[in-house]
Amino acid sequence: MKPLMPYQWTTAILGVLIAGAIFLLVRRDSLRSRYSVWWLLVAIVIVIVGFFPEIFNRIGLYLGVHYPPILIMTLSVGFVLVKILAMDLERSLQERKIRRLTQRLAILEGLLQERSPDEKHQPDDAINNA
Amino acid sequence: MNFLSDTVVVIPAWNEEKTIKGIIHQIRATTTYDIIVVDDASTDHTAEEAMVAGAHVLPLAFNLGAWVATQTGIRYAVKKRYKYLITMDADGQHLPTAIPGLLKPLWDGAADVVIGSCVKRGSRARMLAWSFFRRLTGLDINDLTSGFKAYNLQALLLLATNQASLLEYQDIGVLLLLRRAKMRIMEVEVPMCPRESGSSKIFGSWIKVGQYMLLNIILSLSHATFFFPRSNNSAGEIE
Repeated sequence: MKPLMPYQWTTAILGVLIAGAIFLLVRRDSLRSRYSVWWLLVAIVIVIVGFFPEIFNRIGLYLGVHYPPILIMTLSVGFVLVKILAMDLERSLQERKIRRLTQRLAILEGLLQERSPDEKHQPDDAINNA
Repeated sequence: MNFLSDTVVVIPAWNEEKTIKGIIHQIRATTTYDIIVVDDASTDHTAEEAMVAGAHVLPLAFNLGAWVATQTGIRYAVKKRYKYLITMDADGQHLPTAIPGLLKPLWDGAADVVIGSCVKRGSRARMLAWSFFRRLTGLDINDLTSGFKAYNLQALLLLATNQASLLEYQDIGVLLLLRRAKMRIMEVEVPMCPRESGSSKIFGSWIKVGQYMLLNIILSLSHATFFFPRSNNSAGEIE
């Protein structure tokens, strides 16, 4: 059966949709600008590859990959892994900050109690839970 | 608080309302040191019990584990310019009468960290785990998991840093960090009581044991010193 449309259209439409979604998120300030750099680059690559998938055919041939789409898959998985590792590093950094901050809060509460020792025997749940 | 004292006892506590009061009274009866209880977001009345018993309480907003609670006490102690700090468990295993024995090597300048060790308390499985981690880390310490320790200011300044804030447990990771900073670690044999109530927070279930083992194996391997000779000092000092 003859295909209804050239395959570039499919990849191009997918590329534009994904890039559009990323762009919209950045525009709405839902993504921190620091992360938006990565995602905008991803969007640009997706659009380019969507419109000109034959680029990968050429790169694949050049690199000796007999089935070029697998090159896209391999590179994508590689980049995704790097990104996830970077995210876990960021999460560890945040965890460290949260821990330090929570400790500082407890220390400050301790110092406050020292200054007003009369209050320390009357724990007020409403205040403590605030 | 007694501002003249240069020594402080830090007790991380999580849901220990049954034992905390008794421990504070015991410490009060044997020493004049200030007592800080770091309440690790207990859901019972640990904090109130500790306050009533006369300890100074640092309340953590949410549960962060024994080590982070201990580090909170360490940071507070550094801020308040204490020179020596003793950590004790809140479950009644550690006897305050052993505190002077722990502090003496610090006063004499013979060590930066002193571990109150009680090898006898270990079950067979625990002994096996200790021996495994001793080999893996090269740490020449008999009681690797003791929470009964004394630190001098140098060690406290190191343990108060950012670097120590991501540790999950208060034993092997802390010892490895101390070793890397070339702190002198010494072990002193102390008597320990069986736990007064509850079960170990770290070894409460097999899943927790597995998690503990796995995380500590990774930590130990990443700090491995296969290519460095171990200290032969019989006192267990690590140069």
